[in-house]
Amino acid sequence: MADIPLTAPRPTRAASKGAWFDPIFQFACLSAATLLLAALGGIIVSLAIGGWPALHKFGLGFFTDTTWNPVTEVYGAAGPIAGTLITSALALILALPIALGVSVFLVEFCPRRAAQPIAIAVELLAGIPSIVYGMWGLFVLAPWFALHVQLPLMMNIPAGSVWEKVFYGVPNGANIFTASLILAVMILPYMAAVFRELFLTVPAQVRESAYGIGCTPFEVVRSVTIPYVRSGMVGVIMLGLGRALGETMAVTFIIGNAHGLPQSLFDSGSTLASTIANEFTEATGEMHTAALTALGLVLFVITFSVLAVARALLLRQRQD
Amino acid sequence: MTKPVSTEFLPHILEPVGESVALRAKGLDFFYGKTQALFGVDLPIVRNQVTALIGPSGCGKSTLLRTFNRMYDLYPGQRATGTIDHEGENLLAVKDIAKLRSRIGMVFQKPTPFPMSIYDNVAFGVRLYESKSRKDMDEVVEKALRRAALWDEVKDKLQASGLSLSGGQQQRLCVARGIAVEPEILLLDEPASALDPISTAKLEQTIGELKSDFTIVIVTHNLGQAARISDNTGFMYLGRMVEFTPTSDMFMKPQAQQTQDYISGRFG
Amino acid sequence: MTFDRRFRRKAANTLFVGLCALATLLALSALGLIMWSLLKQGFGGINLNIFTRDTPAPGSIGGLRNAIVGSAMMCGVAMVIALIVGILAGTWLAEYGGDSAYGHVVRFLNDVLLSAPSILVGLFVYELVVRPFHGFSGLAGGVALALIAAPVVTRTTEDILRLQPNALREAGVALGAARWVTIRKIVWRGAGGGLLTGGLLAFARISGETAPLLFTALNNQFFALDLTKPTASLPAVIFQYALSAYDDWRGLAWAGALLIALTVLSINIIGRVIIARGNTRP
Repeated sequence: MADIPLTAPRPTRAASKGAWFDPIFQFACLSAATLLLAALGGIIVSLAIGGWPALHKFGLGFFTDTTWNPVTEVYGAAGPIAGTLITSALALILALPIALGVSVFLVEFCPRRAAQPIAIAVELLAGIPSIVYGMWGLFVLAPWFALHVQLPLMMNIPAGSVWEKVFYGVPNGANIFTASLILAVMILPYMAAVFRELFLTVPAQVRESAYGIGCTPFEVVRSVTIPYVRSGMVGVIMLGLGRALGETMAVTFIIGNAHGLPQSLFDSGSTLASTIANEFTEATGEMHTAALTALGLVLFVITFSVLAVARALLLRQRQD
Repeated sequence: MTKPVSTEFLPHILEPVGESVALRAKGLDFFYGKTQALFGVDLPIVRNQVTALIGPSGCGKSTLLRTFNRMYDLYPGQRATGTIDHEGENLLAVKDIAKLRSRIGMVFQKPTPFPMSIYDNVAFGVRLYESKSRKDMDEVVEKALRRAALWDEVKDKLQASGLSLSGGQQQRLCVARGIAVEPEILLLDEPASALDPISTAKLEQTIGELKSDFTIVIVTHNLGQAARISDNTGFMYLGRMVEFTPTSDMFMKPQAQQTQDYISGRFG
Repeated sequence: MTFDRRFRRKAANTLFVGLCALATLLALSALGLIMWSLLKQGFGGINLNIFTRDTPAPGSIGGLRNAIVGSAMMCGVAMVIALIVGILAGTWLAEYGGDSAYGHVVRFLNDVLLSAPSILVGLFVYELVVRPFHGFSGLAGGVALALIAAPVVTRTTEDILRLQPNALREAGVALGAARWVTIRKIVWRGAGGGLLTGGLLAFARISGETAPLLFTALNNQFFALDLTKPTASLPAVIFQYALSAYDDWRGLAWAGALLIALTVLSINIIGRVIIARGNTRP
């Protein structure tokens, strides 16, 4: 095979341009990723350091004492902690069934032509900033609630009954219940959107085979769809809860901002986030700042645990 | 070859006589993590000829091809041992892999046009090494596209996106991109498996024309393709190089039982 | 008997479908109601003054110029930081170390950071920037917003890059391109639309954030371009004015809320259009 031509001369090359930058680029990427971790770590450390004086001074009493008094420099966080847990739990109870209903409706029953626009609208609403919800709560929901719910209830409840205690409160619409209502409205589109995504991960064949043996849509949802995504659902619920726990502005507008334990459903109260938002810039003295930072630490620990569980559950769902 | 082999396996490697060898694998083992995929592969690649690698799915032919340009380096956990001799140097130990890859080009199973214009696709590799004037670059691009038999189809739309071409054209664009950097060896990993018969025929014709300038190694599922375009053929089975001979010998008088079985369609 | 069971199943199903439809109706009307009040209350307040005048003393005519400019500047600072950090971090997760143990930790904690309460970010930046430099500043506000945007960018970057076919990376590397050249010129370029969308989503997220600005950028009644000084922002002005007793301030707050809502909505819609376009491309 001597007639094969000799190889044409090849250009002699230096190394590829920019190859020296490869390790630097990789290191930059790694550093950016590490920076995110450092940010999370920084949040923990700064809250712990900043809040330490208050935790040290008040000890366990910080979590159980209901007095929050910047004048006498006595700080107990029981009120805001209770306010946070109550409003978030109430919001979740109100929002969960509706969010489930919306997502099931969109995935199973709604004609496709309508489902897409509604789903997009729901997702868009999930992105509206909380301060907008807060303003609506303050200017529309609260007055309406005072006039059409609180006042009639006060007039019509017989004196001395249990209900009088449950519904006790200043009839201005700024209370634990309306705050929960606003929170529910806020997490509703978020949860509905994530639920919908979750339900869409159920393989069509699985659902179709259930329909194939004569199940009604209700039975398919109850016996196939929901069990299929169970751990993911708990994850979404936790995500919604995490969002409600840390929500600041909407609640600050409408909860009434009273320290101490709320005494009734319609009593004004405060949450960890709303207390920080209200008082931090005007904090009088080091101990006040420290106490507020300690509230932040408590909020961080609560939300971090909830969010960590949520993400872990969602991760497991994705891997199943 | 005096390398010890297991008793049930006796490779038939016919040493090419009087030919210049561009690459030579010796005792090549390959591992995906703990799973071994190649077992003591020996193989000469003759310069300026087309070498086809055939064998049933999962036999390791693509894995072998990807060791020739160290593509496995991208993936932690994948490693090769043994030697691949390339101009007296063990290719597996080369430090400047980018330079190595510029001398050993590759075209993939599915067309991989970059998200840029046809012109930039071809110029991409060249720009990595040289800063050329616009005019010189135009020449390089035109030459590469002509050699890949694509020039006439795209000369009026060089600024169109590479993604706008048909599958067969995209694959020839990838060939043009690969040869624009003037490699010595061109590795083709089942380049026609995603193409229709007409595009396949065009690509095969292109490959036949390219071997005067390049050493070509092609992995293919298609025995007819191997018979049509290759000078030498290696048959692989279960990670081993079973037989390597001139292509005509392989198809006329296969030596190993497995080769006979595969060629006559008894498995694979 | 069979008829009875069939009837019960059918009734249960009808009831269930009805409840789901009702829930949807309820949710949509609640959200519609909010949008309606926002439009009704906000539209009246939107006029040229909003964009040309600064926040007024009660009883005098004014606008939101200083707040709009302050918000834009701080969001700009935040997005520059967040895009650099987020795209690099997302690239690391998708291209380099995402499958390592450390990669899993980073991804998990980034997801946690993604939904962490924004007010805590504000507290952190207060300790990190405001306290050491003895003063509230627009830069501190920008850093706080960046910390909220960066996880969003990281997440979307990783998701988008993982959608890029592996063959494209190999093809780049096979030409002898350095790894980072392959990423920059081929992978990022192919993912361009998705990366842009990630940035837009992050921008939408921070443009309405209030809580992290309260103790970082504070507020500023006057027009100022100096980011080392306290800086006004739309959300902070809305917060201050909405809780005030003056009707004209409240009007401005509604107008500001409408502006923010419209901005966020349009950014989100643009992002969606970009994604939809990208999906139809061959």
